[in-house]
Amino acid sequence: MRFRTFISATRSRSRKQIGPIRPIGPIFPRNPSGPWCPYIPSLHPEAAQDSDILLLKAIAARDEAALAQLYDRYRTILFGLLMRILNNREEAEDVLQETFLQVWRKAADFDETRGRPFTWLVTLARSRGIDRLRTQASRERVAEAGAREVSEEISDAATDAFKSEQRGLVSDALAKLPDEQKRPIMLAYFDGLTQSEIATRLGAPLGTVKTRMRTGMIRLRELLAGQGESFGF
Amino acid sequence: MVHDDYKEMIPARALSALDAAEAQALNEHLENCAECRKELDEWQATAAALALGANPSEPSPQVRERILDEVRKDLSEDKVVPFRSTPRNLWSSFGSLGAMAAAVLFTVLIVGLIVLWRQNNAVQAELQQSREFVQLVTSPGARVTELRATDAAASASATIAYDRNGRAILLASNLPKVPQGKAYQLWFLVGHAPPTPGKTFAPDSSGQGVLKEQMPREALDSPVFAITLEPAGGSTTPTSPIYLHSVSINF
Repeated sequence: MRFRTFISATRSRSRKQIGPIRPIGPIFPRNPSGPWCPYIPSLHPEAAQDSDILLLKAIAARDEAALAQLYDRYRTILFGLLMRILNNREEAEDVLQETFLQVWRKAADFDETRGRPFTWLVTLARSRGIDRLRTQASRERVAEAGAREVSEEISDAATDAFKSEQRGLVSDALAKLPDEQKRPIMLAYFDGLTQSEIATRLGAPLGTVKTRMRTGMIRLRELLAGQGESFGF
Repeated sequence: MVHDDYKEMIPARALSALDAAEAQALNEHLENCAECRKELDEWQATAAALALGANPSEPSPQVRERILDEVRKDLSEDKVVPFRSTPRNLWSSFGSLGAMAAAVLFTVLIVGLIVLWRQNNAVQAELQQSREFVQLVTSPGARVTELRATDAAASASATIAYDRNGRAILLASNLPKVPQGKAYQLWFLVGHAPPTPGKTFAPDSSGQGVLKEQMPREALDSPVFAITLEPAGGSTTPTSPIYLHSVSINF
């Protein structure tokens, strides 16, 4: 009995400290749609990050609703990433589930001084996705270029906004990368290949692959940074 | 490899594209280099942006349900299991264990105290008897008479000490156990008169018996002592054979 009292006290205390989860701040000055645009977190990376941090803190305090909210915010981006990596709906959903259960268990490990919640989430999901890919040794499936499933239409307005803003920035940046730099990066990021494997795949010397990958990453960072502070560089 | 070599490897590490040996070497360097850890954090952010290069896709609604089901299960385990899994309850169970141990210890101490108190009382009583006996024996005109056992009480023996005023103490040992409802009784015999009844007594479990008695005045001169087995309340005339006596006598 004493324990339950203790637990419920802890719960109510932590909820009280964190407060209701809601978007922070008014319209941002850099809002491209003008001052009367309704609040959409994804249009305002700083605000989205702040509320993401609050969500992670609430999750660390065992707030189930906060996890649901974080899931709703990032499910399409992370599932899109996992589909791109695994090219299999069932497995991508399985890894997506594992990822959010890991978020549930490890939210307290998130360190806001080391990066944004978006980076943390994507890194978790991608790393689990690549692990799954490697353990399956099912690269042949991924290698089937053009055999990828077509993504479903996305209805979520915020995700649409995310897509139109930040996805646009990433697509633009990638479009500006020379193909010889972009390919090693994409093969590493989405197919989980190491530099040696990429060299073999591309029939290029390992040293060349290393140089192109590094040059490409530096260029990508510059291009994204040039687009404003959307990615926190 | 030097610091700059490691630093160059970090963008590839953010893509997890390093080969195993290089990844291992860099990980060891990262443990000791805060600057490179910070660098890696920054490159992770660049790498994470690549996720937006994939087409967003809608997972089936069941995934959300499965996640929340697991979470609720986790939360309900929190509520059910706490008596073993939480530090607080661990401590409180230690607490109740401690309380039980303290209660047991307390009981043991109390019982021990009672036993000691009783032993002390017994020792005090024996000491008191010994003192009285010594006092009696050493008083002026005191006499000590030994009693001999008959066949009825084979190995028993007894000594009686008395002073001029008739204060007597009988110490007996190796007396046979008395049956239920019976007791030993002391008799005084003077001349040919019928035996005068004395008090009754029961030996303890080791066959030891002590009796303090005030002797009848007429028995002070040259008394003969005898002990018989009688009903617990005592008899007016002996009803059993003699167990011990001071000189050879006949009833």
